[in-house]
Formats: sequence, structure tokens, C-alpha cells
Amino acid sequence: MAELRHGNLTRRRMLKAGTGAIALPFLGIAAPNLLAQGVSKSPTNVLDFTTNADVAKAEQEGQLVFYCHENEAGTAGIMEGFNKDFPKIKTSYVRAQTGALYNKILSERAAGRFDVDVIQLSDIAPAFDFRRKGGYEHYVSPESSAYKKDHLSEPNGYFFWTGVDPAGIAYNSEKVAVSDAPKGWKDILDPRWKGKISCKISASGLQFVQWYTLRKIYGDGYWKEFAKLQPRAFDSRVQLFDRLSKGDDMITAIGEYPAYILFKSKGAKVEFVAPPDGLVSTPLVVGAVSRAPHPEASKLFVDWAMSKRGQAWYQSNPNLYYGSVRTDAPAMPTGVKLSDFKLLYPSDWDEYASQSATFLKEWNSMLGL
Amino acid sequence: MGSWFSAQKVAGYGVAAIAAVLVLYPVYFLLQAAFDVGDPQIRPPTAYGLDNFSSLLQYPQIMLNTLMVSLAATVMALMFGSLMAWILTRTNVPGRRLFEQLMAVPYYLTPLLGALAWSLLGQPESGFINGIWRAFGGEGHLIDINTPYGIAWVMALFEGSVAFVMIAALMKSMDPSLEEASQVIGASRIRTIMQITLPLVTPGILGAAIFVFAEMLGSFAVALVLGLPTRYYVITTAIYQMIQQYPPKIQVAAAMGASLFAVMWAMLYAYRRVVMSGSYVTITGKAFRPRLLDVGRLRYVLLSICLLYLFVAVILPLGTLFFASLQKIAVVFPTAENFTLDNFRTAMAMNAVRSALSNSLLLAFGTATIGIVLMGLLAWLIYRSRLPGSGLIEYIVMFPQAVPRLVFAFGLMWAWVVFPIPIYATLWLLLIAYLTVFLPLGVRTIAGVILQIDKSLEECAQMCGASWAFRARTVTIPLLRPGLVAAWLLLFIASVRELGASILLMGPHSKVITPSIVESWFGTSSELTAALALIQTLVVALAIIVLVVVTRRVGALSVD
Amino acid sequence: MPASPQGSPPSLSTPRPHIEVEGLELYYGSVPAVRGVNFNVMPGEQLTLLGPSGCGKTTTLRAVAGLEQPTAGEIRIDGLPVFSSARKINVRAEKRGLSMVFQSYAIWPHMTVFDNVAYGLQVRKVGGPEIKDKVDRALEMVQMREFGGRRASQLSGGQQQRVALARAFVFQPSVLLFDEPLSNLDAKLRADMRIELRDLQHRLGITSLYVTHDLEEALAMSDRIVVMRDGLVEQTGTPDEIYSLPHSEFVADFIGSANLIRGHHRPDLDCDGLTALETATGQLIYGMAYGRKAGPEMTVSVRTVHLRISQERPAGERNVWPVKIEKTVFQGDFSQIHLYWGDQRLVARCAAMEPIAAGRDVYMAVEPRRVVLLSPGNR
Repeated sequence: MAELRHGNLTRRRMLKAGTGAIALPFLGIAAPNLLAQGVSKSPTNVLDFTTNADVAKAEQEGQLVFYCHENEAGTAGIMEGFNKDFPKIKTSYVRAQTGALYNKILSERAAGRFDVDVIQLSDIAPAFDFRRKGGYEHYVSPESSAYKKDHLSEPNGYFFWTGVDPAGIAYNSEKVAVSDAPKGWKDILDPRWKGKISCKISASGLQFVQWYTLRKIYGDGYWKEFAKLQPRAFDSRVQLFDRLSKGDDMITAIGEYPAYILFKSKGAKVEFVAPPDGLVSTPLVVGAVSRAPHPEASKLFVDWAMSKRGQAWYQSNPNLYYGSVRTDAPAMPTGVKLSDFKLLYPSDWDEYASQSATFLKEWNSMLGL
Repeated sequence: MGSWFSAQKVAGYGVAAIAAVLVLYPVYFLLQAAFDVGDPQIRPPTAYGLDNFSSLLQYPQIMLNTLMVSLAATVMALMFGSLMAWILTRTNVPGRRLFEQLMAVPYYLTPLLGALAWSLLGQPESGFINGIWRAFGGEGHLIDINTPYGIAWVMALFEGSVAFVMIAALMKSMDPSLEEASQVIGASRIRTIMQITLPLVTPGILGAAIFVFAEMLGSFAVALVLGLPTRYYVITTAIYQMIQQYPPKIQVAAAMGASLFAVMWAMLYAYRRVVMSGSYVTITGKAFRPRLLDVGRLRYVLLSICLLYLFVAVILPLGTLFFASLQKIAVVFPTAENFTLDNFRTAMAMNAVRSALSNSLLLAFGTATIGIVLMGLLAWLIYRSRLPGSGLIEYIVMFPQAVPRLVFAFGLMWAWVVFPIPIYATLWLLLIAYLTVFLPLGVRTIAGVILQIDKSLEECAQMCGASWAFRARTVTIPLLRPGLVAAWLLLFIASVRELGASILLMGPHSKVITPSIVESWFGTSSELTAALALIQTLVVALAIIVLVVVTRRVGALSVD
Repeated sequence: MPASPQGSPPSLSTPRPHIEVEGLELYYGSVPAVRGVNFNVMPGEQLTLLGPSGCGKTTTLRAVAGLEQPTAGEIRIDGLPVFSSARKINVRAEKRGLSMVFQSYAIWPHMTVFDNVAYGLQVRKVGGPEIKDKVDRALEMVQMREFGGRRASQLSGGQQQRVALARAFVFQPSVLLFDEPLSNLDAKLRADMRIELRDLQHRLGITSLYVTHDLEEALAMSDRIVVMRDGLVEQTGTPDEIYSLPHSEFVADFIGSANLIRGHHRPDLDCDGLTALETATGQLIYGMAYGRKAGPEMTVSVRTVHLRISQERPAGERNVWPVKIEKTVFQGDFSQIHLYWGDQRLVARCAAMEPIAAGRDVYMAVEPRRVVLLSPGNR
């Protein structure tokens, strides 16, 4: 069923999941503090948004460490936006694809290192897991009111959807005639694409969503057919479109709309196809990390990102071009609004999350390791 | 017997202890991870076993790939190396000395840059060479750089210069009278070459072959750029992939690394046996002046071969990168509106340029300076002092030679992440890593310098009554100075071009050049990466030129 | 020469040895370099260790210097042990108060001549003006005064050698060790330097331990010689003793050319204190035992220069034989005559003379005192 849906994330479910947490030495937030935190101060105004963080203290802290799944230019872009508004806060980032990124922060925390202020992931499954492990700081932003419940963590205050990355199919218009071009998700399985089709690596959140949703629609055999095409996998959408525009690949099975926009503007001969079943989408989730070295700065960032200002930045920066889910968000630079697209999400986030191990095994063995 | 706490012994054993910790501590953790068959999240390991090694049997293709690529690269490197060595040391080709210096340039450019450039040149669809081929009416593509032979080609071009250096040294140390005796008897030039020169050179070439093969087994950068897109894995890139992917297969990666280590160790052992000198130092004994072969007209043919090599290994790659960096989307026949300076503008603003450059230069300075003190003391300890245990120390110091940098970094990552002092993900950790992996290089270079100094110069100072410290200050170090300066430069350059270790140990505040280029390659457009790489190369080249000029003054000494 | 017994009080008439080497052994792993060497060097004398390459002489010298560590034995300087394997003493080279001239001269290329020579004084923290004075005088003594400011790399071999010498004695050591210092010089220079070195040593009154493989050098310069072979001492004595009265075949042959004649003792023909030897072919020769025991089988040594060749039969009864010339080799200052004595070939060395044609019959004679009995069992 391809609809914009949010799973039945009841509090009961979350708590049930929480009891099965792995015994890692997280000296995270103790349960009683959970409710006490966050709503203690009254929001202040800074620039054109509100925040519960102590801005002066944040500037005193002077630094923000950001872990992000985005490619280099995108991550740098996000930091640029924040730094422009708060020049006293020096930003630094680590980027890695979601799977690798999550793995990194987990092993660091397991070794007793707590160096991260904010983390952005392109897959909601690790966000759930991190929440369970007490990795997120519980901080309710005053900007939360501009978001639907579906786009916030349950309960609010752990993470939020800073944007949506929808993906369809893209092809090189010089190599592929319009008549041969794929029209829907089933068309990419055509044997003519063998050795000439690209996708993303298993650490990618979006790739996991695509695997899960298309499997639900077309059955288990879909990806087995796909494997026969010997696809090439890459870390970032920029790489995918780089190769596509030069003709090194003919089509990409996971053409992200933001990248398509960017490359088209550079004059690349690429075309985008929005399959009738919908555009595979993953939420991009941002949350402040617990035991952050710069707690006020991290809270400030969350507010900034949630604000209209921050969302405008996320939407309009050419390296990002995210679709915003803020209720009062303007249209994207191309004039299109996120709601104009038919988006494909997992209907049951819990079931989705539980499939993670299966996906990883299948996808990695498809790619040879 | 003598005083126990002499300065000599303290310095000697102190530095030996440091070296032992640097080298063995990460290796221990590597092996621990390789034998860990328990839950990977739990440390220390709960169970030990051989399962990880047996799971390696699932990847026969990777082993095969590695062998194939390394073999092909070794053969090619030996061919280029021997040809160029012969041309530059035995014939009267004009500009010999200049070319000999230039042979080192591909090494300085780094195999990564070479791989980037050749990727732009040789991709079957978008590659420039193939574009030109098609423009001339060719079908399909002329070369495909993403194949094992393509990878081997680039490896040989950029990592093969060690073959040249070894074979050239070999040819220079040959006694010319051996060939002259053959010619006097009346043998033709060809006959002399086939029956005298070649057999004499063969053991040395064999030794070089083994050494180069071991190096190629551990090669990383080229396979990373050219092999990964087509899922053509070799052991090093497979290890990298297994660590980076989600979920990571740490234990299998460790087992793979340990296996590679064992193989390389065996190869280097074989190398030592073949060379039979028992030491990694090529002792320059009497340097003969080999009689040059007058090749007459052939001179110009040989000259063009040298120029061709230079073109293919230096000019073409640099030119390609420059050409690509100026375009929005790099093609071989761009239209006017495809040109832009945006890539350079963006690159200058990127963290990778700003902080990575300054980090790398700072780190290189530190590594070189601390390095020559540490390695100088070690070289003296191993080759000059007569303290017991120096043989063992030599083995330990040469250990990292047998371990690919990436594998070593793996152990380092594992080892230092639990260290109480928080150096993880800082430049300090990179410094430690560099000092460790450069031990063989630094010690070997300085040892060569030390061994050239006649022992009697130091003994005489002893007989004049000078204590060890006084001797070191007034005789040993002044004599070593030019060599130490050269070693400093070598360490500096090795440090800025390092990839294998840095790529795993880099943190948000400790970005360095070469891994940041890789990050850019996998995360941004190839044009931006080209611009980035060029900027960094230029800055490093400038830094090196400045240093060479400065050190020429410091190291100048009228010593016979 | 027996070592002075430990613990015996120094007597006023016999001076105490300056350097004493007792039971010295040095093995490199299992390879022996020195297998048990004993000798003394008296104050002011030059003792030379002489022998073919590989005999252990340089190793012994370096052991005395402290640059090699012996496996066993004892070395005493001025009565004080600097090395003792029994008492576990090993004084470092720089603390032994000795001085050394190296075969390669070991002139430091990065210093001037002046600085090279001044080094030992600087180590001993001598003041500036005093250094200048002493260095100048030392350079004067080796006739290198004008070269003070020159860089060491600009000197010839001979010049470097002199500088090395000046450097070695400038700080007035009591002992000088020499490791084949003249072997890198050409023949003429070597001959001159030999004499200069000897004069210098006498003037300074320094005790010297000298190593060489050159026979002429040893004979010309030494007060006493220790002949070594294969890590052991073959014979110790003055040059004359070694030359005239060799103990063994090796020494006889090494020190100047010698003819070795084997035969059995004819005690019935001994007379006038002479020993009679009969060769296998019946030749009879008279020689002197010089206190050595005469066994049934004996070997005697006759120097080539002591065989006299003449056309007419010389007067005298003993040690005169007719011989046949095999060939004459002209050697400039002398001629070497190869002849048949019975069925044995001998070599005689005579002052330059008209070459005698091969095949000629002449007479050969030798004084019995020149026919030296070698110690039995010494091969």
C-alpha cells in the first residue's frame, strides 16, 4: 500500500522495545529524568526563531560537532548555514553513510568517548535504536509546534524529521531513448540494464527503504531479479549522478530528486522518472545527542534546524534540496512542494526496523561482500 | 661489567622499548580481533577460535584478484623499472641525471592521484581516451581502466618506482670490468648483455621482484578508486569495505588482514634470503663508475622512451586532472559553456582544503622531526652499538614492512580507542600511526647513512677520551647531518602522502590530505575532486620546494 | 716472555711492565680470533705484533684499546686491570687513558686540522690558549704547522697520517697504540715514515704497541717483536733474536727467507758443540742447537743470505758442498740463486754479481752457527 503513513508507534511499543536493550555501558539518562528535562526553561527568541537553549552559553561553548550521513558538500552546506547565523560557534563534522555513521558513534560510546553533539541519520531504524539506547538527549524544542506528530519522535523531544529525500528512477538521456526509458519500478528489472545500472550501498537508509517497500509491493523475487543485473553500488547520490551524467551508467535505480535537480542545473543530460507507485522516501532525522560535549550548542542547533529559517536553508541549498515537512514550509526552489509527490514509506516502522539484518545480509551478498 | 646506567644504554634500550610498544601493541589487538569469535560488540573478546579464518574460504575470488593484480603489477613494474634503469645507468642517453630525479615524481604525486587521473582517462564510457578513440571512428572503448590489468597498470606506474630504484642501484654497483672482460675477448654487445650482464643482475632482480610483489599485495589506493565501482575487490579494499560497511565485519576483516600480513612476512623473509645480506640496508660499498654503452642513433629512441614514461606517469595525469577540474561535467570534447572556475571556488571553501592542508603539513613536520630522533637512535642501536638484543630490535622495527598500512591502522584503531589518554581521533593518534608505519623506511634510510661513516672515526674519538654523549655531539651527529636532513625530507613527504593508515584514523578535528581526497571522490563530483587534489598537490609541492632549498643550506657540508 | 707473577712486589732494578696481557682469548661466537696470548710491554719500548692477516694481531691491539671485548684473560695498564674476565672488570675505551693511530687515519672531515688535533685536549677540558700552544707544538713536530686551518678533506694520505699522529700524542698519553698506520702509504713514503715514527717515539718516550704485517717495518722499528699466527704467539724476542734464532718453521720462513732442511740426528758425528744432521739422501750438515732439544728427527733453518756461493772450492772441512745452479734471478740490489743440493732445491741470496749460467757447477758453503736448529714439534 503506497501511502504517506506513519506507523503505530505507541508509547507502549517503544517501552516494550526498550526492555530488550543490549547491555552496553551507556550511562545515559536515568528514567526519572526523562520527563523532568526539556520543559524547564521558557523559550527565548534568537534571530527569527525560538529556542530553549541558552544562546550565550552555547556561544561560550563555541563549538558544535555534527555527525551526518550527507555527502561532504551537503554536510558542509548544513554547517555553513548554521555557522552563518551563529558565527561564534565553530562547526566541525564527520560524515559517513548512515550505517557506517551509526556504527561509528556506537563503538565510540562503547569505548567511553562522547564527542558528538548532534546526529543526522537518513534512516529511522537506527534512530529508534539509538533512542532505545538512550543515545538521544531529551529536548523538546519550542519549534516542535510547527510539525505534525508523525514527523516527531514518540514521545517528542528525541528526534525530528528535518526533511525528506524522495527518489525515483533517473537515466542518461543520451544513452537511453525516451521509448526505452523505464516508466515504473518494474521496468528497471529489464535485462538490457545489465552491468549498466547503479544503486546505493547497504549503509544507506534510503536504499533500505527502497528494498523494504518494493519488496512489499512486488514480492521477494523482485530483488533477486535485480541482483542478476550486477548493479554497481555507491555511497552518495552525487557519485550516482556523476556517473549517470557521463554515461558510465545508463540508469540508476535510486535517483534522488535533489541530486537530479542539481545535475540538471549543471547541464547534465539526465532525466527523472516518477514511477506511478510512488517515490521511495526516507525521513532524514536530526536529534541532539546525550552527554554532548557542547550541550547548549546542540540544543540550539536542533531549534535552528527545526525553525523556518533552518528549513529554508535545508530546502534551498543546492547540495541539499531537501523536502521540508514543516507545516508552514514554502515550496522547494523548483516550485514543487513535497505534497505534490506521491511518497512511498514503510507502513509499519517497527516491522521495517526489524528487517534490517535481513536487508543487510541480502544486499551485501548481492554486492559481493 | 662497566656501569649499568650509562647514557648509551638508557638511550638505546629506552628507544627500543618505545619502538616495541609502537609496533607490537597494535599487532596484538589485530590478532586479538582476528581470533575473536564472540560477540563483536563486547570487548575484551569472550571467545577465541579459528572461525574467522575459515570464513575467509568464502572469498576465494578476492584472494585470486589480489594475486592476479599484484602479479601483473609486479611484472609491469619490473619491466619498466629494468628498462628505465638500464637506459639511465648503462647507456649514454642525454639528460640521464635529470631523468633519474624525475623518476621519483610519480611516487610524490601519489598513486591516488594517478588512479583518479587514469579513471578520468580510462572509464569505458566517459574516459577521455575512449572518447578520442570513438571520435576517430573506433567502436566501443579502447581501454577499460576498471579491469585487473587497468588497475595493475596504474599500480605499476605509480608504485613501481621502487623497482626502478632497486634495479638502478643494482646496475650501478656492478663491476664494469666483468663486462669489459667479455668484450675484450670479442663477444658482441648483445652477447655480453645476454651472457654476462643478465645473469649477474638476475639475483638482484629476483630480490627486487619479491620485494615489489610484497608491496603490491598491500597496495590500497589504486584498487580503491578503480576497483570498488565494479566490485572488484582485492584484500586491502575488501578489508576497508568490511570495516566501513554496515554492519561491519570487523573480525573477518581482522582475519583477512592477519592472513595478508602472514603472506607478506613470508615474502619478505624470502627476499632477505635471496639478497643474503641479512639486512635491509643496501650497503654502498665501493661505487663503481659503470662504463656507459654508446648506443649511437638509438639514443634518441631511448630518449623518447624516457619522455614517454614521463608523459604517461606525470604530465598526462596532471593535465587530465586540470582539464577535468575546469569543467562542470568532465568530458573530453567540452563545449565552451562547460568551462567553469566553480570547482576551484568550492574546493577552497571546503574543510578538506583548509583544515586538512594545515593539519597535514603540521603533522608532517612533527612526524619528520620526532621521527629522525627516534629512528636515528634506533638505527644507531641496531647497526652500531653492540648492546645485546639489537638483532631482535631490528626484527621488530622492520615488522611494519610486512603489514599493509591499512591493516596496521586497524590494529591501531582498536588499540588506542581504549587507551586511557584521549588521543583517539586526534592528530596525536595519526602521529603515532605515522611514526610506527614509517619505522622501516626511516631506520633503513638513516642506517644507510650511518653505515657509510667509517667506524674508526667514532672509535678515534673514543680513544681521545670522549664519552658517548660528547662523541655523539661532536663527531657522529655532524657527520650524519646531511643524511639526517635527507631522511627528514623523506619522512615529511611520506607523511603528507599517506593514505592507508590515515583513512581509518582520521577524526573530525584531524582531517588530512590524501584521505580527504578519497572522501571527496566518493562523496562529491569528480571535477570537484580533481580541483581539490590539484590545490593540495600544489601547496604540498610548494612546501617541499621551500624545505629543499632551506635544507640544502643546513645540510651542506664539504665532506669527501 | 713470562708475565710477571701477580702479587710480586715491584723491584727497584726491574721496572714494572707498562702493559700486561695475560691469557687473552677472544672468540666471535664460536670463531676464534685470539686463542691465548701473553706478552708485556715495558715502559718506553715499542713492542710490535707481527703476523699474516687473520693472525689476531689487530684484534689483540683493539682489545687492549677497549674497542673489542675479550672472552677471557686479563689486561693491565700500569698494574691496574682494565679488563679481567675473572674479576668481571671492563673499563670503557675512553677511560683507559690510551691513544691510538688508526689504519685509515680517521681524520674527521668536518673539522679543520687544528680542530682534529685539539679534540683530545677539548675532551680533557684544557683551556683555549693552552690548547693552541700544545696543538701548534704537536703539528710542528710532525711538520704540519702551516696546515692548521686546512679542512681535513683537502689533505693527502701522508699528510693525514701526520695529523693523525699529532692528534694521538698531543694530550701526552703514556701509551700509543698503532694499527698498521703505514700500510696505506706507498713504499717510499712508508720507508721514510718508519724512521720518523721511530724518532718521534724515542723523543716522547712513549710506550708503543704496534701492529703490522710488514716484516721490514717490524724489524726496523721495534724493540721487541711478538710473532703471531692463528690467534697464538709463535715467538717473542728482539728483532735480532727473531731473525737469527727462529723457534719454528713458520717464524723462520716468515721472518726473512729461509731454507728448511729436514733430516735425522747423527749424534755420533756431533763435535765441537755442533749438531750433525743427515738428510734422507745422505747429505751431511752441521748446525748449532742454541739450547734447543735435538730429537731423532730434526729441522734446521738456513737464511738464504748465509749460503755462500763460489766458483772455487772454499777452504774448510765442514758444510762445503758442490751444487748445481738451476737458475739465477736478478733482483737489483741482490740476486737470488736457485740451486740443487742433492735432490733438494735451495735458494741462496747473494749481493749483485754476474749471473751464473744455469747448469753450472759451483760450491756452496755455510757457517755452522748460521744453521739453526728449530724446536721439535714446531711446524
